[in-house]
Amino acid sequence: MAQDALLLEDALIDSNSLSSPAEPSTEKYMLFLSDGLLFGVKAEYVVEIITNHTITPLPLVPDYIFGIINLRGQIIPIVDMRLLLGHAPAQDTCIIILNIQDTRVGILVDSVQRMLDIERASILPAPAQNAQDMVSGMCSLEDGQTMLVFDCPQILTHT
Amino acid sequence: MLNVKEGFKIMGTGNDSILDAYLYETNTLLEQLDSIVLAAEEQDTFTQEDINTIFRIMHTIKGSSAMMEYNSIMTIAHRVEDLFSIIRDKSIEIVPEEKRPALFELLFQAIDFFRQEVEHIENGQPLTENIDSLLQKVNTLIQQIQGGDASAEASASPEGDAAPAAGRPGYPFALQIFFDEGCGMENVRALMLVNSIRDLCSDSDFQFSPADVATDPNTAGQIVDSGFMLYFKRKEDRDSAVHAVTGAGSVRTYQAFDAPQEDPKPTEPPQPATAAPVAATPVPSPAPVSKEPATAPPKSPTAKSEPAAHHRESLISVNLSKLDQLAAVVGEIVITESMVTSSPDLKGLKLDAFTKSARQLRKLTDELQDVSMSLRMVPVSGTFQKMHRIVRDMCKKLNKQAKLTLVGEDTEVDKTIVDSISDPIMHIVRNSMDHGIEENVQDRIDAGKDPVGEIVLSARHTGSEVIIEISDDGQGVNYEATLNKAIRSGIASPDADYSHKDILNFLMAPGFSTNTEVTEYSGRGVGMDVVKRNVEDVGGTVTITSEPGKGMTTTLKIPLTMAIMDGMEVSVGSSIFTIPIHNIRQSFRVTDEDLIHDAAGGELFKCMGSFYPVVRMRDRYHLQEGCTQIRDGILIWLEAGELSYCLFVDELLGEQQVVVKPLPSYLSRFNIKQSGIAGCTILGDGNISIILDVANLYTPV
Repeated sequence: MAQDALLLEDALIDSNSLSSPAEPSTEKYMLFLSDGLLFGVKAEYVVEIITNHTITPLPLVPDYIFGIINLRGQIIPIVDMRLLLGHAPAQDTCIIILNIQDTRVGILVDSVQRMLDIERASILPAPAQNAQDMVSGMCSLEDGQTMLVFDCPQILTHT
Repeated sequence: MLNVKEGFKIMGTGNDSILDAYLYETNTLLEQLDSIVLAAEEQDTFTQEDINTIFRIMHTIKGSSAMMEYNSIMTIAHRVEDLFSIIRDKSIEIVPEEKRPALFELLFQAIDFFRQEVEHIENGQPLTENIDSLLQKVNTLIQQIQGGDASAEASASPEGDAAPAAGRPGYPFALQIFFDEGCGMENVRALMLVNSIRDLCSDSDFQFSPADVATDPNTAGQIVDSGFMLYFKRKEDRDSAVHAVTGAGSVRTYQAFDAPQEDPKPTEPPQPATAAPVAATPVPSPAPVSKEPATAPPKSPTAKSEPAAHHRESLISVNLSKLDQLAAVVGEIVITESMVTSSPDLKGLKLDAFTKSARQLRKLTDELQDVSMSLRMVPVSGTFQKMHRIVRDMCKKLNKQAKLTLVGEDTEVDKTIVDSISDPIMHIVRNSMDHGIEENVQDRIDAGKDPVGEIVLSARHTGSEVIIEISDDGQGVNYEATLNKAIRSGIASPDADYSHKDILNFLMAPGFSTNTEVTEYSGRGVGMDVVKRNVEDVGGTVTITSEPGKGMTTTLKIPLTMAIMDGMEVSVGSSIFTIPIHNIRQSFRVTDEDLIHDAAGGELFKCMGSFYPVVRMRDRYHLQEGCTQIRDGILIWLEAGELSYCLFVDELLGEQQVVVKPLPSYLSRFNIKQSGIAGCTILGDGNISIILDVANLYTPV
């Protein structure tokens, strides 16, 4: 399992180095909080951050599909991070719009923290039991906190 | 160097668009060809115009295929062009009556071949390499119509234009004149020449070709190519004409030809006994009219040929995705416009100038919306015309006699819808030919019907829908046989009583085919159920009616466009849903007493003598809010196809035209379609309303 995660990481690094061959060994991550957990999502996936948007609920879908929003004419599905991870729901209002392989999905989170450059080498593979929890790796930050690397492509295949 | 490089670049990036253009052009030409040949087959002859058009089409296909290096297409097109070059030069009479069917058959085979090859290209498959058998057929026919006449062979060659020496009966002394290159207005110059010769000898003593220089400016090109021909009765007249010609301006060169009367030289077009009418034709032009067919608008007996002629100048082809994009943006503009003009910030303000401008803006956006919608509308004629061919082929194969009548083929429908109904219509027409029209002509005569069966394909608008009807005057549906078949295939239960309507619906059930044998055209397991599904996919419905002995009619009701529709906004708690207006029959305000409970605990509502199940929106969608008391809400009677039920909601908010947006593809894995959601729309205040799919919202048990 750890082997798989390693391979995935390699693949990610490969695709990154392809798009920008002269890129240094660091990557930009955006940090956000959901139910006390600190997540990092690769900045290249992030389109924008919106707050207080009206979300229209959809009937008869899994509960983590919070609903859909109208973002300047585009209909975007919103996934509730807390429910996706199996946590208790809360009145979150902060939406991060992600563009994952040309699919736009919004994730509902507690709050967005900051942007951070992270050494690729410092990201360690996620422990095996976390593989299904949308986490592809972990990284210890300088201030002692631990960042969980949010596995964006997995949200497209999660059912 | 730079130029060369740029040239390569253009080739490199433009390749796809060149291929697109090639496919578009070839497909258009093939369609035109198909309709010409079909019409000609009916008449059993080609008009001179048809021949010219076919020749031109083959020439174009040959040329563009050669450019794209599609050799198989090029070779066949080249030989067919040769064939028509012969027919064009000697008129259709060269093909004896008994050979005509073979000629038509050959053309259809060639068309099919081209279509198949084009399909291969579209799918990125390699082209057919072995084209010998078709090539052989073309060659055989060419040989047959030439009747082994050696001299005919000579003029059949593409170099046939080297026969200016052809004299005319009674006018043996010819004069061929070429004007200075690029001097322009050759036809006018020729006419002036003719006028000056008229001064020298009488009109009856000479003829000229092309004969219509005075009226047809296109002859200028012809004169440039093959010279202006003068034919004289007497040698002296020609000699004096030579003086006039040398005196005239801009004459580059002239040449005199002598042709002994009534004694054609071997180089002349032969006039064998079979081709006698050629000689009788009043003005057979020996010079090939190579320019004329290219410039003259191609006319064919079919009604649609006129617009086809205009294709070149006034039509451009646009990628459908761009139109989709345009429609989406326009939809946004319409919504944003109403968001701006009805903004809550403006409440209580008296803004005369603003209101005036806003009204103007509303008018313009409405207009914009209409125009952008009309861009996507195309007439159904293209789809309808294809059916001619199917009827024709099936008549041949099944040995039945039938004709196809088209009504209202100008009716315009959204392009996506036209594409998606083409296959269903084809299938229904095939069904009619196969099962509808009687096997035996005698049966028809006995029933007092025209021995030739008729299939009528009609299209018409009714408000927001297009109604397409395919009816035949065949034997109609045999209810008993159909029911037996349905019972055998396990669709119907042997004990139940079925109405005729029910039995007709079995025809559209999956896995049903009335014909005991599988024929080439129908009964392959994919039946009317596929038709039904395809039509329902674009929001339409299919109904079948039949009268034994009189024939059957299949009616497709299809929305004009899928992008915009009239919807009724309803609310349940704080959620707003949109129900397509065309699904709504009626709405009622009722009390608990009006509802009847059935054994299973379901609720029924009695209306117009029938009972309809009641679906509570709140329960169906597990909503947290909404009325639970029947008297507080409203009951809407809905109908979709055969399905009819009542939906209980809180309130009717009003009717509105809405732009339909599909839900994000991300959500499709959650079986959104099955839960009765057709899409969504953005309301005037920017909120989203879910559009209900009435056919899928409720499934009867």
